[in-house]
Amino acid sequence: MLFKGFSAILTVLAGIGVALVLYWILNKIVEFLPGKWEDRIKPYAYIAPAFLAITLYLIYPAIRTVFLSFKNDDSTKFVGTKNYTDLLKSHDFQQTLYNTLLWILIVPAATIVLGLAVGILADHLRPGSEKASKTIIFLPMAISAVGAATVWRFVYAYSPPGQPQIGLLNAIWTAFGRQPIPWLATSTLHFNSILLMVMMLWMQIGFSMVLLSAAIKGVPTETLEAARIDGANERQIFGRVILPQIKGTIVTVFVTVTIGVMKIFDIVYVMTNGNFNTNVIGVDFFNQLFTNINNGAAASIVVMLTVAVIPIMIYQVRHFRAEEAAR
Amino acid sequence: MTATLAPPTDVRPKKKRRGAGGEGGAGRASWPVKISVLLICFLWIVPALGVIVTSFRTVDDSNSSGWWEVFLHPFKYIPQLTTANYTDAIHQAGIGTALINSLAIALPATFIPILIAAFAAYAFTFMRFPGRDTLFILIVSMLVIPNYVAFVPILQLYSQLHLAGTFPAAWLAHIGFGMSLAIFILRNYMSTLPKEVIESAKIDGASHFTTFWRLILPMSTPALAAFAIFQFLWTWNDLLVALVFIGPGENQPVTIAVNNLLGQQGTGWELVTAGGILSMIIPVIVFLSMQRFFVRGLTAGSVKG
Amino acid sequence: MRGSRRFKVAAAAGTVALLLAACSSSSTGTSTGGGSSTSGGSSNFGGATINVWSSMDQPIIDGLSAKLDPEAKALGINVKWTKVDNINQIIATKVQANAAPDIAMVPQPGVIQQLKAHVTPLDNVLDVAALKQSYIPGVLDTSTFDGKLYGILVSANLKGLIFYPKKIWDAKGYTVPTTIDELNTLTDKIKSDGITPWCAGIESGTGTGWPATDWLENLVMRYGGIQTYNDWISHKVKFDSPIVTQAGNEMAKLLFTSGNVPGGRTAIASTSFQTAGTPMFQPKPGCLLYQQGSFITAFFPKDIQADLPSNVGVFGMPPATAGGDNPVEGGGDTAAIFKDSPAARAVMKLLAATDLGSIAAGNGSSFLSPHKDFPLTDYKSVLTQQYAKVAYAATAFGFDASDAMPGTVGSGSFWKQMTTWVSGSEDLSSALKAIDGSWPSG
Repeated sequence: MLFKGFSAILTVLAGIGVALVLYWILNKIVEFLPGKWEDRIKPYAYIAPAFLAITLYLIYPAIRTVFLSFKNDDSTKFVGTKNYTDLLKSHDFQQTLYNTLLWILIVPAATIVLGLAVGILADHLRPGSEKASKTIIFLPMAISAVGAATVWRFVYAYSPPGQPQIGLLNAIWTAFGRQPIPWLATSTLHFNSILLMVMMLWMQIGFSMVLLSAAIKGVPTETLEAARIDGANERQIFGRVILPQIKGTIVTVFVTVTIGVMKIFDIVYVMTNGNFNTNVIGVDFFNQLFTNINNGAAASIVVMLTVAVIPIMIYQVRHFRAEEAAR
Repeated sequence: MTATLAPPTDVRPKKKRRGAGGEGGAGRASWPVKISVLLICFLWIVPALGVIVTSFRTVDDSNSSGWWEVFLHPFKYIPQLTTANYTDAIHQAGIGTALINSLAIALPATFIPILIAAFAAYAFTFMRFPGRDTLFILIVSMLVIPNYVAFVPILQLYSQLHLAGTFPAAWLAHIGFGMSLAIFILRNYMSTLPKEVIESAKIDGASHFTTFWRLILPMSTPALAAFAIFQFLWTWNDLLVALVFIGPGENQPVTIAVNNLLGQQGTGWELVTAGGILSMIIPVIVFLSMQRFFVRGLTAGSVKG
Repeated sequence: MRGSRRFKVAAAAGTVALLLAACSSSSTGTSTGGGSSTSGGSSNFGGATINVWSSMDQPIIDGLSAKLDPEAKALGINVKWTKVDNINQIIATKVQANAAPDIAMVPQPGVIQQLKAHVTPLDNVLDVAALKQSYIPGVLDTSTFDGKLYGILVSANLKGLIFYPKKIWDAKGYTVPTTIDELNTLTDKIKSDGITPWCAGIESGTGTGWPATDWLENLVMRYGGIQTYNDWISHKVKFDSPIVTQAGNEMAKLLFTSGNVPGGRTAIASTSFQTAGTPMFQPKPGCLLYQQGSFITAFFPKDIQADLPSNVGVFGMPPATAGGDNPVEGGGDTAAIFKDSPAARAVMKLLAATDLGSIAAGNGSSFLSPHKDFPLTDYKSVLTQQYAKVAYAATAFGFDASDAMPGTVGSGSFWKQMTTWVSGSEDLSSALKAIDGSWPSG
């Protein structure tokens, strides 16, 4: 145990040391080149290790995954588009897609609206209280979904009627004389999926709150004063002056949360493992890979996910270009 | 936590900042506002309170009564509170080993990519070379690619190299997955540094290596810290990458260990909650003590200038 | 060993398959098989050290080593016991790396099957005919592949036990049913006495559903007999078949009938298997019967555990017809030789002896010998004696089917479809059809 801890620290130091020496050597080698070549080669020497990592862990696997998605479960035989058609035809996978879509439709929007609301409310407090309340709301972001699951199991826990209810929600519910409800197994109107989304919101709203309230504070006073002079009320000021100016941040938060939600895995895996019609593609991917040991199906799920991400990628690149041009 | 950070732009200071957003501004909140905020905070804390309280209760108590009963019947339940759950979790349930494993995974996975990314970010910011913009656009587009794409091929690769289940398997994966974000954050930060400093260093005859090491790296501390916190929390809290590349066993991090306690493992609430709390302590401490950097990194990342 | 084993087993089986798929080219089989030391001619091995790995509970290891080590020492062998968690997974990697221990005890016979190119067959090492008489019938079959014996069960555990709260049971004068029909009658009688008869819970985190597979497996085994059960494991008998459907309908009759389970059918899928049985022990019992594996007593309330013999009664799920086929479902740790040597073979012989467990049975561990000629009086715990009675009276021993089926089914669709069915969102026939549909082709 001690050895492991020690070796971790040693690895950090060694890793950094080796990297530094590597760069130093690379740098020296390049410096031996004639002046003109030195300037030409050096930038590539500086970015090479980083690109090696990205190539090895993202670009190469992405290409290979596309390839694997047309092969069978243990990647020994080409099966054409069978993996895709099998998945898309299966009722379970259609439900999985639908559930994931629900997450995408609800969570990012809710994160923005609630984060904005909480942020604006907290901004009205005295600085001390503001900081304290924001820290509390922000804090769940520091913990893992597994940790959050231990927290929320005590909210959603169920015991049969007549037994003591140790789950908060059922304790409140039964206090009104009602029968306890197995919350996470209640898939009517996807209620259980929504309960899982609540967990996600509990973890994520702090993030959106911090960013959005910082953006609001960044709105120049002059524009607000100008609007006030024009006789706008607070609601109009918010809608016509503040909102347009924080649009960029809203989009950013929206995009970030959307990407996170598209590949949502751990909350669902830990709480229900996709049972009771709560499955999402992240969990399905994992189960295809490890329970079913079906590389082909797993790969084709990832390819579909990646294709779905491409519009966001194009938006990102465009956005980045525009930013650079404005610089 | 989301895997990709918001696309940062820059941190040019605003001409004038103030608490906007409504009547009066800070400090003069009306009662409804105060009460709403209080209520929200209450809603946020209460679920977590359940875990904290339960982690000190005996298993029979937590199975037979809600945790809030401790507050309703303090005389009955408080004397029964115990810290035995924690010692059991650490020793019997293997949370102790798992915490060390988590450190052994998260520390190298946090610090090694920083330097690599910093060099690349330096090149992208202060050097001119053909293909620079194209390569950087590539990095920007890699930001949103789900790291799931890597799992099947890398797992096959790891199996051939007998790397699956070892710490380096996770380190390398986290380094690869975190790299584009690290470069992105650092490059955006570095591009806000005053160019004159670099110019004058050049005139003084400093090499790129010296400029980077002596000047740029120290000046980039806030961005380095922001990324380090982000990456540390990400790797510490990660379940999926650990499940895929390490799996349950002697090298499992605390997320896998606690997840096992949650389900099939032969344990009740007492070990789950104690294990859960133990898994949260370190990230919460890191988060609270470094919150300033974290928030700054986040806001610098996405508050538009 | 708790329910944890089941998960580990399932997870490990998957990993083994992955590893093997990745490295299938590197099979360097230790082709031994020859019966050179059939009767262990030499009695001194000159201080050879034999490494024995297992993931059994420490008390069991302690008990076994206290008995075995002196015997081995007398032969000139030092036995080194190592407790290895997650051994299913580790052993596969160690075999790949050519660093396997001499003997390993694996909870999942499927792992031995997958690695059998590296395992020494025991047909010429042990007196198989005599062992057949000594073990619970069918025990050796669980580690016999292609007609060769590759391992022996050292320590067993049981599934399909029905627990009841002894005090109320005795007060009401209920008797242990001897057929499934009698179990139905008993269920109705308890209900007419105003008590909810059954407790049931299949929630188990990411492993939700496995307790339901145990239910089904135990019934399939009893309706179909051990041969049908084993054919079911190898999918020669489909899920969507009369026998499995009959088993499912009986399970539904016992558990889903209105008023048979606290909270009714929908409660089962959300109730944790760990605490599902607790209502049995309340002053006004929430239920009277709970079906689970022998490990479940560790989850009973502490005051019940303090005096199990007077608080808890147990009987095996009854056979379909009185005096008919009476198989039992169980699991355990199977020892196999991964690094062959005369000394390893000698230790294997000691591991096969009936009296191996004579100390472990009395040292407070959960040890249960798979030898039906093991003296019941050796068990210190009354409850373990009762388990042993159930086990030794069995006409056959069947390994947990979901552990033995391919991971796609055994820890995938079987768990999930049972959960969907139990929660009432799907009927039995579509659940069984869906599991058949998920069976890996080829």
